[in-house]
Amino acid sequence: MNEIIIVASLGILTLLAEIFNFKKLILPLVVAGLAANIVVGIMEFDLASYYNDADTLRMIESDLYAKCFMMLLSIIALVWVLVNYNFFSDETNQTDHLALILFAIVGGFCMVAYTNFVMLFLGIEILSIPMYVLAGSNKRSLRSNEATLKYFLMGSFATGILLFGITLIYGSIGSFYVYDVRMKTASVDFTITPMFTIGVVMLIAAMAFKVSSAPFHFWAPDVYSGSPTSVTSFMATFVKTAAIAAFMRLFITAFPTAIESYKNVFFILIIASLFIGNIIAVFQTNAKRLLAYSSISHVGFMLLALLCLSEATSLKSLFFYTTAYSFTTLAAFLVLKIVSENASGDDDISVFNGLAQRNPLLAGTMTIALLSMAGIPPLSGFFAKYNMLFMALNHGYLWLVIIAILASLVGVYYYFKIIIAMFTRNSTDSTAIPLSLLQKSLLVLLMLIIITIGWNGWVFNLI
Amino acid sequence: MITQYLFYFLTFTAIFCALLVVFSKNPIYSALYLIVTFFATAGHYFLLNAQFLGAVHVIVYAGAIMVLFIYVIMMLNLNKEVEPHKSNIIKIAATVCGGILGLVLIAALRETELGEITEYSNNGIGLIEKLGNVLFGAYMVPFEISTVLFLSAMVGAVFLSKKNIH
Repeated sequence: MNEIIIVASLGILTLLAEIFNFKKLILPLVVAGLAANIVVGIMEFDLASYYNDADTLRMIESDLYAKCFMMLLSIIALVWVLVNYNFFSDETNQTDHLALILFAIVGGFCMVAYTNFVMLFLGIEILSIPMYVLAGSNKRSLRSNEATLKYFLMGSFATGILLFGITLIYGSIGSFYVYDVRMKTASVDFTITPMFTIGVVMLIAAMAFKVSSAPFHFWAPDVYSGSPTSVTSFMATFVKTAAIAAFMRLFITAFPTAIESYKNVFFILIIASLFIGNIIAVFQTNAKRLLAYSSISHVGFMLLALLCLSEATSLKSLFFYTTAYSFTTLAAFLVLKIVSENASGDDDISVFNGLAQRNPLLAGTMTIALLSMAGIPPLSGFFAKYNMLFMALNHGYLWLVIIAILASLVGVYYYFKIIIAMFTRNSTDSTAIPLSLLQKSLLVLLMLIIITIGWNGWVFNLI
Repeated sequence: MITQYLFYFLTFTAIFCALLVVFSKNPIYSALYLIVTFFATAGHYFLLNAQFLGAVHVIVYAGAIMVLFIYVIMMLNLNKEVEPHKSNIIKIAATVCGGILGLVLIAALRETELGEITEYSNNGIGLIEKLGNVLFGAYMVPFEISTVLFLSAMVGAVFLSKKNIH
């Protein structure tokens, strides 16, 4: 709850900055506020007395899971604001952008900590509405307009299905409170009614849309490539982490026993995500579309943790995977943003041609990030995939592990397409790309995080 | 007895007008039939003793949203039949998907056992006072959090509609 209050007040402060004209101060203030939020979170982290959800009238709970994901989301948000410092340099829209992002962060916090379906719905909406707007924040670009309209229409449809699912579950259980649902479904005299089943399937469909898992992925490439690069990187990291955490939380709190009954649904989601994501990505020439399809394939891996919920390491694997994936994606999008701004907004793969000569630091970071996404050993992406597959193997899904490995082998091909372009092709424009001190230090920091995060298991064992 | 007749009348009106919304050729007629559907639904709320909900339903849907609809239809001049023809495959796919979903829902409805219906006594369950007690009692946190939602929607609307002045 503290996190929500801190970030929501920062958002309101940002709006006040527009009125009382202290715009120059607001960006450092927001960065300081987000950092303070992380410090408060770390200080409270080890407190034995997590407040339970009775204090918030059974709406939000600060258990270890929520705490860990809130910390992760806060750190992603802080790094994102620093990475996209110049997204806020435009004076006319600075406060709007900042306020929308801060409100979206509040939504993300609600999504990882809810104990009530009402809060799940509100969290998803609070996260989505700023995203619909920000996707269209490049108002002069036709593709940005297309992205925002597509995202809005499809997103509101998915929300409708989510609400329908919640209603049907309420109809068969009689409560919005997740632990009531769990208690009712676990009791002996509970027979699964068709109404309950349809409710759960609708919830799964809506959440699969929000994490952009494969049969529900059609919006993702268009929205990712149409939105401004800064917003795309927020969608690919923060929104995806929050959505997958909410999806997982649905099953650990409300229906822990139900996952076995719905495992066929998850087989389809996982296999489709892995193959559609990886195979269509091979044919992409636009770097943002390529990263969008790659993010769909990563969702396939993340959903393995939901499928193997009864394994002891499933939460740990999911947390580690989202951490590794988010920082890797932040690094990749930072490089893409700098390079494409240097090529006057072009985000074709050819902008990476000859990057190793133009700026070795950018090329190095991009290489590390892509290798990590592909799952090459000493990097964090490898450990993330290894944990997931090891857990699935323990659960007895050998065939699924083989499929996942085959699919990610396809992934290696298209990640290497960019690496080859950077190191062997010659660029038409051979001037060096200048970097600011902030950008340099962020690139080095993200590179270090990607390399070292998997070496000892502290992130893995945090949750 | 009279409530029962009212119920059947309202249900018939709602379903009949909802069908007309889909089948009318003229978008303006569709919008007008939608208003009738909203009023019939609001009538159901009144029958369920939820006066506040019924009134809000009429004000928000039939009032604000429908006016917006008609305004957009008139402004964009959608009266002309310029809607692009969708391909047959999409039409068939949409019909099959919608049909399957409808079938599943109807099948589920058949299997659903209704719990015992508790007769609501005259305890004013739909009155504003009760609603306020719930909103500021059990649902305090979502009520407060939803302010963030409305604030962000408001900021978003202003942001999208304002001109970029350099």
